Formats: sequence, structure tokens, C-alpha cells
Amino acid sequence: MPKGDTLGEFEYLVLLAIVRLRDNAYGMRVRQEIADRTGRDTSIGAVYATLDRLESKRLIAGTISAPTPERGGRAKRSFEITRAGLAALNRTRRDFASMLEGLVFPPQGAPR
Amino acid sequence: MNPGRVSQFLLFAFVGAAEAEFVAGDLAEEFASLANRRGPRVARRWYFRQVVRSILPLLTVRLRSGEFTRALLAAAGAVIPLAILDRLWSFVYSQIPLKESLHRDPALLAMNVGLLVVSAWLAGLRVRTRPEAVSSAVLAAALTALVLCAGPAPAPVLYVALAIPAAPVGCLTACCWRRSG
Repeated sequence: MPKGDTLGEFEYLVLLAIVRLRDNAYGMRVRQEIADRTGRDTSIGAVYATLDRLESKRLIAGTISAPTPERGGRAKRSFEITRAGLAALNRTRRDFASMLEGLVFPPQGAPR
Repeated sequence: MNPGRVSQFLLFAFVGAAEAEFVAGDLAEEFASLANRRGPRVARRWYFRQVVRSILPLLTVRLRSGEFTRALLAAAGAVIPLAILDRLWSFVYSQIPLKESLHRDPALLAMNVGLLVVSAWLAGLRVRTRPEAVSSAVLAAALTALVLCAGPAPAPVLYVALAIPAAPVGCLTACCWRRSG
């Protein structure tokens, strides 16, 4: 499998957030979705860097909307998942499920 | 309500112009909601922390976009003619025996500086954005200093003092001229 087809952990979270947010997936919402669900306080820069990487891998596609007053007159960039992105997401989910199969938590022999 | 001038300056200084627009919009949205819920002081602190933590990841985006490569190419394009002339002079200088009293003709040095301004101006026409022009101007000044100070023949101080700012001035004026046109 080419290296670009695999997802890093944060890339996986960002893709899942985009799928959850549907039409409302943009930097700030993705950051909030990850923070609400995982408790991670990520920076907006880290989210944008990951979005840029996912876009260059063609796993998501971005569209620019018109500036609005509540954004200080600045434009917004929304994202949606592509077919390749969905395939990558499913593959990663399968990989995780396969690795977790049969494991009992906490694992036997783990330090207490 | 303003999230703070320092934070906004940092955001636009370090982050690529295109990305900064979207990031600033997102931050403004969240800043307004946070200021309503928890007050402007907490919101400003949050904004500043977000900007500081975002600089490094967003710089990597800027690097990936090829902006620095374009800026470096523009700077190199500005300085290469001067480097060739300077190497040529160094070669001539090295061929002359008894050269203690030999000085470069001021007219020749002035021509070098003029050529640098012209080549920097032409290179500046190729840059696309203002941050790219600033990056190429800084790089051009650094490359000029390197070219003038690394040669075997010592360069006159006035010549160095005029040549180092000449390259960034050429780059930036070309960029301003193009944007105003």
C-alpha cells in the first residue's frame, strides 16, 4: 500500500469530524468537534495543517464561501470528504478493528 | 471587540496570506462566541495562545505550498548577475601581481549596484504575493551580503553598504509597482 494511502491518528480524527459535520465542516468546527468528543485542545493551526495534507492527498476537497460579518469580513473554507477519503477512512477503521479483535481491556500482563 | 493587535500581527506575519485569511476568520468567530460567554480578557488570552500554537504547523503549510522556493529563486535571480560580475573581478584581481594599491573604479562599482537594482526589480516582478516579496527581499539581502563578503578581494565598505539594501529595494518596489498596476 502506498504511504499516502494510510492515515495518521490525527488525520483519522479530522476525517471523522468532517464526516460528522457534513455541510458545516470548516477549520473551527472541526477543531471544536474533536475537542468536544475527545477532550483534546488542538490548535487551529494543527487542524489547518492536517486539512492541507488531506487535501493534497485528495482525501478531501475544499470550497471557499463569501466573507461574512461574524467572521470579521473574512472568507470561509469548507471541506467535504471525497470517494478516496471514504475508502481511506474505511480501510483505517478495518485495520483498527482487526488489531483490536479479541483483545480484552485492560490487557493481560499490563502494569497495574 | 478586537482580539489584540499583537496576535493579529503574528498571525499575518508568519502564516501564508491565503491560509491566514481563513484561520483569522475561524478564530474571529470563536473569539466572539468566547468573549460573550467568558469575557473579552479570557477570549484575548485564548486567541493569543491559539495564534502562538498555530505558527509552527501553519509555517509547514507555507513551506509545502512552495512559497519559500519561489522566494529563494527570485532572490537568486536578483543576485546572480552581481555574483558573476564580482567573481569576474576577483579573477582579474587574482591575476595581477603587486596589487596593494589597486582599487576598483567607483564607476564600475556604481554600475554593479545599478545592475543589482535592475535584476532585483526584474526578479521582484515574478513574485505573487506581498509576504513572498518580503521573503525574497530578505533572502536577496542575505545572498548579496554573502556574495560580497565571501570573495577573495575585499569589497569597499560604501559599496557593500549600498549593495545590500539595493536588492530588497528592487524586489519590493517591483512588487508594489505590479500590485498598483
